[in-house]
Amino acid sequence: MNVAITPAMVGQVVISGILAGALYSMVALGLALIFGVMRVINIAHGPLLMLGAYTTFFLHSLFGLNPYLSVPVTMAVLFVVGVVLQRTLVFRVVDAPELSSLLLTFGISIGLVNLAQLAFTSDLRAVEYLTGSFPLGPFAVSKPRLVAFVFAAGVTGLAFLFLRGTRLGKAIRATSQSREVAMVCGVDVQRVHMLTFGFASALAAAGGALIAVIVAIQPEMGQIWTFKSFLVIVLGGAGNYPGALLGGMLLGLVEQGAALFLTTQLSEVVAYVLLVVVLLVRPTGLLGGRQT
Amino acid sequence: MTIKTLGAVLVAAAVLAASLPAGAQGPIRVGASMSLTGTYAKLGNYQHEGYKLCAKQINDKGGLLGRKVEFVVYDDQSTPATAVRLYEKLITEDKVDALMGPYSSPVTEASANVTEKYKKVMVTPLAATTSIFKKGRKYIFMVISPAEVYLEGLVDMAAKRGLKTVAVVYEDTLFAKASAVGAVDLAKKRGMEVVFQEGYPKGNQDFSGMLTKIKAANPDVLAASTYFDDAIAITRQMKELNVNPKMYGVTVGGDLPEFYNLLKQNAEYITGATQWEAALPYPGNTEFAGAYKKEFGREPVYHSAAGYAGCTVWAEAVRRAGSLDSEKVRETLLKLDTKTAFGGFKVDADGFQTAHKMVTTQWQDGKKVIVWPDELATGKLRFPTPPWNQR
Repeated sequence: MNVAITPAMVGQVVISGILAGALYSMVALGLALIFGVMRVINIAHGPLLMLGAYTTFFLHSLFGLNPYLSVPVTMAVLFVVGVVLQRTLVFRVVDAPELSSLLLTFGISIGLVNLAQLAFTSDLRAVEYLTGSFPLGPFAVSKPRLVAFVFAAGVTGLAFLFLRGTRLGKAIRATSQSREVAMVCGVDVQRVHMLTFGFASALAAAGGALIAVIVAIQPEMGQIWTFKSFLVIVLGGAGNYPGALLGGMLLGLVEQGAALFLTTQLSEVVAYVLLVVVLLVRPTGLLGGRQT
Repeated sequence: MTIKTLGAVLVAAAVLAASLPAGAQGPIRVGASMSLTGTYAKLGNYQHEGYKLCAKQINDKGGLLGRKVEFVVYDDQSTPATAVRLYEKLITEDKVDALMGPYSSPVTEASANVTEKYKKVMVTPLAATTSIFKKGRKYIFMVISPAEVYLEGLVDMAAKRGLKTVAVVYEDTLFAKASAVGAVDLAKKRGMEVVFQEGYPKGNQDFSGMLTKIKAANPDVLAASTYFDDAIAITRQMKELNVNPKMYGVTVGGDLPEFYNLLKQNAEYITGATQWEAALPYPGNTEFAGAYKKEFGREPVYHSAAGYAGCTVWAEAVRRAGSLDSEKVRETLLKLDTKTAFGGFKVDADGFQTAHKMVTTQWQDGKKVIVWPDELATGKLRFPTPPWNQR
């Protein structure tokens, strides 16, 4: 019953792991931003990703927009959704105990999923645009996943340039390090919170847009991305932005490796075991999290 | 006794006798708990419509044992615990004359405990889990084919074409696993070698690791015991990783129009399994589909047909037994060997279905063609499946 594992198979799985990991990193970076800046664990992150996927789906099916060209549009739409959510709901729990923010974002998450079920029905939808693979020696490189990788790497790269190079990015990082000091230095913290939530939602939306070309989408697709993103940022160090990149790649490789060397059924278990081990050895995550 | 009183008695007797066939006993009341809301609502309603159409047709033809048939239906909200309470109520409070089964295996499993306790016959048209019928229960009767034979068509066609190796993958949940285990057994019986077997968790969307192993094992046949979204995801990723078995079949989902809508030409050559199709040449099937559409304004699905057939079979047994007595109806059902719009009906001593056949379909130029079994086929299997880059 067991298939002998060859180096070619390992190579194939490493490719798959890296392709998946880039998406994890990008989506999780959004969650890390919100946690870093507001100390809010955003359970609605996955459902926002789902809204991004549907936005791309409808832009493609109704207006014939190329799904990859739709990525910036979808990001812009969800940026606005994120800003509105922050302004109306999330700002109320920023200074509240963490349980309040968990409950609130959990509520938003349920609300978004149910609204999506009402508005879009729970039928599966797919953006049938790019399928198949590029042959690369003994390997097959999935076309939609490769393009998603390129986009994810690009968007993540831009996000880091933005965080390092721009005034607003620096303000975000400053707020994340110490809100009080940032305020004293003249950073408009409320505005930073609002924009951060918008950026984070846009990152989730980019993930959703790219995933819509890879797999079929439905209103409940998001929750698993909340969990995965959470896993990624805890692995890398909650609130540590490069940590999200490392955590994402690690999760992608570990999941695929476990599916190859063990079974698909166990791949999720292995990911969580890894989490437990990391937390035991380095409670603040691999790259160290933000101190309380 | 005076002439006058004798006359009055005679008149009374005559009136009584005249009204006996239709009115005196009132209608036959058939109780059922149905999943009209909740998780199974969509499919439970199809089953309910099958029951309603069956009762209507019986009544239009003059009733059963000279009495009208009337359904007493309560909503169990798709939960087994509620269904248990409802069957208890139907039997002890409403004192219905007969019972029909609810929707789904879990609800049937729970409800059967009640009906067995009161020794009431219950035809259960939408329970496909073998174990429900293999626990020594005496009064329940299965209508649809069990999970274990969902992939029989694929395995049989592969064996007939001399294919030797098969890989079996499944969503690791009760029903899908049962049909995968069935496929492995069937393949071994036909002398095929099962070179790979693996489950995956519900909701899994990335199958790279699994498909990489399958590609290395290079099986002639890939049999996937799926629901729906996993069937889509596996198919897409097979193309991405260029996995090319000579035959590839899925179970649930592969027969739905949405399967083709989502995958487009990538669905070509893929087989699916289904309990029933409107196109099947079963006695009364065309009429059933027509009447159903007229009555409810939508096409029937197999859940409708199974509900309809379950009710029809029960009515036939009552007719032959000439009685509503549970023991007599049970004896008749055990001996019954018939065909309905849904296909064959015959059960073994446990009430387990043995005559009903699954059919295997294949997507050919965007159309769903029945390719197995031979006697029901509407077209030939397209074989072998060409590599992805030549489709």
